[in-house]
Amino acid sequence: MQADRRRLNAPPGGTAPPVFATAPKTKLQRPTRTREPDQHRKLFLRTGIVPSASGSAYYEIPPQQQQQTGLLVPQSSSLKITCTVHGPRPLPRNAAFSPNLLLSTHVKFAPFATRNRRGYVQNASERDLGAHLETALRGVVIGERFPKSGCEVVVTVLEGEEDGWWAGNAEGRGGGWGMMGVLAGCITVASAALVDAGIDCVDLVSGGVAAVVQAGTDQRGDDGVVAIDPAPSEHDGGIRAACVVGYLQSRDEVTEMWMKGDAGMRAEQLIDEAVKAASLTRAVLAEAVKEAVEMKLEKVEGNAVAAASVKEGKGKSKDVVMTG
Amino acid sequence: MANGTAKPTGLAFSRETFAKLTPAPFLQALLQQPDPIRPNGRSLDDFRTPTINTGSLSHSNGSAVVRFGDTAVVCGVRAEILLASNIPHPPSEDIYDNDVVERLGLLVPNLELSTGCSPDHLPGNPPSTLAQALSYRILSLLHTSNLIDPEDLRIHHGAPPTEDDLPDEGPKIVTKAYWTLYIDILCIALDGNPFDAAWAAVMSALQSTHLPKAWWDPDREMILCSPLAAEASKLRLRDLPVASTFAVFSTGSPLKQRREAESWVLADPDEFEEGVCTETVTAVVMSDGGDVGRIVRLEKSGGGAIGKAAMRRCVQMSQQRWREWQGVLNGG
Repeated sequence: MQADRRRLNAPPGGTAPPVFATAPKTKLQRPTRTREPDQHRKLFLRTGIVPSASGSAYYEIPPQQQQQTGLLVPQSSSLKITCTVHGPRPLPRNAAFSPNLLLSTHVKFAPFATRNRRGYVQNASERDLGAHLETALRGVVIGERFPKSGCEVVVTVLEGEEDGWWAGNAEGRGGGWGMMGVLAGCITVASAALVDAGIDCVDLVSGGVAAVVQAGTDQRGDDGVVAIDPAPSEHDGGIRAACVVGYLQSRDEVTEMWMKGDAGMRAEQLIDEAVKAASLTRAVLAEAVKEAVEMKLEKVEGNAVAAASVKEGKGKSKDVVMTG
Repeated sequence: MANGTAKPTGLAFSRETFAKLTPAPFLQALLQQPDPIRPNGRSLDDFRTPTINTGSLSHSNGSAVVRFGDTAVVCGVRAEILLASNIPHPPSEDIYDNDVVERLGLLVPNLELSTGCSPDHLPGNPPSTLAQALSYRILSLLHTSNLIDPEDLRIHHGAPPTEDDLPDEGPKIVTKAYWTLYIDILCIALDGNPFDAAWAAVMSALQSTHLPKAWWDPDREMILCSPLAAEASKLRLRDLPVASTFAVFSTGSPLKQRREAESWVLADPDEFEEGVCTETVTAVVMSDGGDVGRIVRLEKSGGGAIGKAAMRRCVQMSQQRWREWQGVLNGG
């Protein structure tokens, strides 16, 4: 691999992540799903965390049960995503005329987001997530209202969901199931940031994910259960198929759907469950947006009060007025 | 006025418009008041109050989130192993101990600004000159301040005595590998003064770093690490240097006489002030055994408004700042 000349690179010998010896006298317990199949994990969403951007939001699914093992290796990881929106702003002079808002999305994992360290350059899977996110958002933004403008949606994943249980066999780790959860989070957080930026949308789009999971280990005849918001590390028998949707609840529309794996006869049910998950997320999203608006209103009222007091001659000397 | 009948009222703009149209005269008007107040409401040598959270990232050996004002920086330290046998040109035995870290490149800091933290740094492009310069400054500061004991980064192995060794000698200690620390700094929100924030984040992340106990396993010919948190050792830092940045706003220009110009030193500038000021001073101070801060680095760029006296005042303020930071860094 060619060294990145614009960054500081690893020592020329190359480094390897540490290999841990098996711990004596500790039995690792695989995390299990304790919530119902139709129950979503608790999530945290807040807008307006980056004041220098037009709109921003932060999304987090905190880790579930924290097992105290005294081990150095983290037992579970949480999902932490930040999103900033810059725009709408004029396109550069040399850009071609566009009657609509040009939306561009960029998804990047932080180098410390996953168990294996990631590089700084966007890789193919991150680009793919960006493309999925763009289709999900394009359906809600009213682009006609912002001709000749562009808008950048930048998502940084500070901590990503894992593809499987870290101590499990290698077979269970692949599959990229963690990406589905990340995409659902990206859709929700980007939607909150778009609203925070004041970009006109037809509805709030929210992301939801559902999966067909096998109830037990190695039961070939088992049909599996459809569970919403799967945490890949919690599913012992493995995930057979998963589906992410970007869903507009009040219009009952799906702007983005991504299904992976072999759902068999369960495909329709899987989509329905994903939609249900999206409706659950939407409740949190609407609450966060409402809270942000209320705070903004309070601030405006506060400013009005302050301005009135200035007129009365209270803190006048603190302010300068340009005259000419 | 277009109709010409109405008596033209004095053209008055609101504060925001004034700041947007002519930022420099706006700042000057505020600073020329008898009791100067900066646009952000701070006085001239007021720093923003920092808050630090450590250990919030689960996949890092050490991590910290530092925020002051609207600037927020996340730093994660991740340790990987560099095998001594993989080093292409191993340094000679008699290398000065403090140079080992620099010679082998065991510290790899990288600052990423293009996380959408400000409209000036959008992703999709290679890192800007500013990001590259800041990464390099952090690296060179880590090297020159000799914060990390190279002994902490070495993984030793006591080789069993061979036949030609003298029997009364103990087992020979060889360094089998080194820990390499990847220090990834992500700017989440930027409102001026990225260097101070990034440096503080690096310091508190390194301070919270724990390295697992590692040993050479001769049977498998590899380094193994103990998974027990109780056996991990904390990375020791010899000192906690603190960086303080000042921006200098000056009314001087090359066309004017020097003495006609007025200048003000603004501590911890925000984005707006950085845009207007051309001259900056960065002082990095660390303890000198006791409590008085010793200068590790002094940087001044652009302009000619700062003289000896002002420079001394900057250093004094950064020493003051160093005391404030010690409480925050050690408490967090």
